[in-house]
Amino acid sequence: MNHAIISCLHANLPAAEAVLNDIDRQGIDTITCLGDLVGYGPQPNEVVELIRKRDIATCQGCWDEDIIDGLNACECSYPSQLAERRGHLAHQWTDDQLTDENKSFLASLPTSLRRDRLLFVHGSPNSQHEYLLPDMDAFAALERVETAGADILFCGHTHQPYVRELRDGSIRVRLQNADHDCDQGEELTLPMRKIVNAGSVGEPRHGSTNATYVIHNDATDEVEIKEVPYDVGQTCQAIVEAGLPKVFAWRLSHGFEFAEQAEDASHVCER
Amino acid sequence: MRSHQGKCGYLRLDGYPFNGLEQVSDSGIDKAFLKDQFPELIDLSDSHHAPRSQQGDLLTLIELPQFQAPQHAGLTGIDPRIKNQLEALRLHPDRHLHFGRDPELPNKDTLEFKKLESFSLSLNASVWDPPSLNTLWFELVNGAYGDVYRAKALMNLPDGRSMFFNWIVSQESSQFLPLEEISAPNGRPASLSELVVQGKHLDGLRIQSTIDLCLLNDAVLEMHQMPLRDRQKEAIPST
Repeated sequence: MNHAIISCLHANLPAAEAVLNDIDRQGIDTITCLGDLVGYGPQPNEVVELIRKRDIATCQGCWDEDIIDGLNACECSYPSQLAERRGHLAHQWTDDQLTDENKSFLASLPTSLRRDRLLFVHGSPNSQHEYLLPDMDAFAALERVETAGADILFCGHTHQPYVRELRDGSIRVRLQNADHDCDQGEELTLPMRKIVNAGSVGEPRHGSTNATYVIHNDATDEVEIKEVPYDVGQTCQAIVEAGLPKVFAWRLSHGFEFAEQAEDASHVCER
Repeated sequence: MRSHQGKCGYLRLDGYPFNGLEQVSDSGIDKAFLKDQFPELIDLSDSHHAPRSQQGDLLTLIELPQFQAPQHAGLTGIDPRIKNQLEALRLHPDRHLHFGRDPELPNKDTLEFKKLESFSLSLNASVWDPPSLNTLWFELVNGAYGDVYRAKALMNLPDGRSMFFNWIVSQESSQFLPLEEISAPNGRPASLSELVVQGKHLDGLRIQSTIDLCLLNDAVLEMHQMPLRDRQKEAIPST
């Protein structure tokens, strides 16, 4: 059966509506959302209410967490001083706009969702703030999936959709026993694991302005990355009218692949 | 200049208004960059140097802002008023290169526009958060603050390095060149730092406010520099 995974809606209502319409047209009625319903975009209440109305299973994103807990991010949250200061501006604006009811909804979201061998998180199983980049070290990537006890890990956060298959993996465990002064080792050969990044509905950064999401067939494990065009100009206009930084509208209207990334991609979030 | 065996000089001339279009004032970026690359460079705009530098092996780069293509190719295309200035300095050019005509220079640097907008900002003593500088430059040359035809800058980094940034709209990517001279990681550098942008519909206020978000304050700068100083101390052998 096909099911859809959406992520990083970022208060972009036209994009969220376009993606949900696209999913509906295909007759898919199981949808999982990987969080970041708010942040950067101009319609935080509208997007949260849309997700609530559709009763979409959702896990909490980093923006959703920050709005509830306040900004107390680890250094990996913002890759530059500029990104951090812009992020704070957007955070303050979003915090002012969101109703208490919608904040309560964001606070109620779990950090992960599990369906059998499928795990759904925003960033990584470790943290909503940790980036699983497509080119991260293969061992680290495998470790994230294996430790979480999943065959397929669905994530977002990077705004760049990808499917990464981790084949022929093995982890060697070596235990040194202090009492007996001897080593015990075991090598575990792992079946193929998969990381599927759903990209972003509301702030794509994959070289196009189209919103992205993925469809997974849980019988065949086939994954399809879908692109959906929407009225970008409408969202850009709303960003400017809301008084948010104009550069957010500019970035959205170009869909650049450029994304700021922390210098150390293997950094383990300490939040 | 690198292959020239003798002395090298540099002269920047102001140029003349054309059809009411005003010339852009010199930011000093080119001279500072050349002086860094060629410490013995003779600055011919300095009247003390000009009379003494008339040597046969002197290679002088003369830079002249100009709005219109010359009517004639080669030396005959030089504006007579410029020729007079050069003769006063006893300089006799042997080549006249022009953007859009000579293969040594980018051929699409000159674009059709009726009104030149220019934005310049002195950044002396400013030090950048490096990843923020990367983002600002990407946004600037890709049009986040207006259509940029040309951008040039000298920027200071917290480790004491300075970088020359150079963008021409017709080129595929920016040029980033580190300067030879590296300041001690001890507070704010004294070297020239400047940004110059030319284009259309430039939003100078937004450029300025974005730059303000990218520059390091004293406390953060010290956080960057203290470990560098400690490493330098460790590297010096005790006597």
